[in-house]
Amino acid sequence: MIMKKTTIVAGLAGIICHLLVAPVSASDTQTVYKFYCAQCHGLGGKGDGPNVTKDFPVSPRNFTDAAEMNKLSDADMKNVILDGGPSASKSPMMPPWGKTLTGEEVDGLVKHLRTLCKCEGKKS
Amino acid sequence: MIHCLNSYDGRKSMRVKFTLTIGAIILMAMMSTGRADPAAGQAVFKARECVVCHYTEGPAREKTIEDQLTKKGPELWYAGDKFQADWLAGWLLDPKPIRPMKFNSLTEENAGDHPSLNAEEAATVGEYLMSLTSGEVKAGTVKVKRNSKGRQIFTKKMPCSGCHQYTGRKKVIAGGRSGPSLVDAGVRLNPDWILAYLKKPKVFKPIKMMPVFVGLLSDKDMANVASYVGNFKPKKK
Repeated sequence: MIMKKTTIVAGLAGIICHLLVAPVSASDTQTVYKFYCAQCHGLGGKGDGPNVTKDFPVSPRNFTDAAEMNKLSDADMKNVILDGGPSASKSPMMPPWGKTLTGEEVDGLVKHLRTLCKCEGKKS
Repeated sequence: MIHCLNSYDGRKSMRVKFTLTIGAIILMAMMSTGRADPAAGQAVFKARECVVCHYTEGPAREKTIEDQLTKKGPELWYAGDKFQADWLAGWLLDPKPIRPMKFNSLTEENAGDHPSLNAEEAATVGEYLMSLTSGEVKAGTVKVKRNSKGRQIFTKKMPCSGCHQYTGRKKVIAGGRSGPSLVDAGVRLNPDWILAYLKKPKVFKPIKMMPVFVGLLSDKDMANVASYVGNFKPKKK
């Protein structure tokens, strides 16, 4: 009986720990990317979303360009997502998403962008 | 007794006539002022199956991105805050695409296949939709004008133009395509609602592709943007 209770408590503790430390799942991050970022950066991350018409004043970053993406650290990307292009002397066409996205969503996006460029980026 | 009955019948007949007359007067008054019964419009809204794509009871239901993506069309529970009545009745009669892209899609163009209503239906559904308000929009707050500060924010500082089409210089349509077009938005949208939408995004659209600007733009700057967008009207020829 005591063994049974211990097993149940341990099981519950395991589930709670898992919920507390579980990272955002890949599908969640992909949904976030598709919903917010793809409108300019494209579903595949090539900088070719539907907003990029001939009069779009800048070229949104191509996340599949490993050479360019390697120039950025994860912290650089996080800052630009949170505070917008001007925070890195880039275009204001990249708006600040800091009031829209959660910290967890931003961290997930940074990881997702690394999967798109298949690169590790500059170490900060 | 017979006299009493006749008298009773006479009074009853008078009462019926009086009631009918009052009813006719109310009906004529409603017709003469162009005011229809929102309940009649609601019945048409249901009969024409508008409810399949649009929900009309607030507050906002969307809590996740998936909730938003499940929707087939925009929520209309605050349509009376958002739209201009004349524009709405006209649009229901002859709907033209507002969004370049299909609702909730980044890959499919808007096919422009929104069902149209006949004149009577459009008028009555328009009345119904204009009766739907949130209680969150203060009337008469935004003065529509050529607002240079609003223009600066819209095109440069926090470029709304990145996602919304508008009429740029030399009457050329510029801007992005993922959001609803704002070309001639001053005819379609209530400028006071534009301000409320910027100030209280969680009330109207808790989950949307547009960034939250609360804490990034001051109330005054939001009012400047609302004033600028509210002035998007067809140029007089």
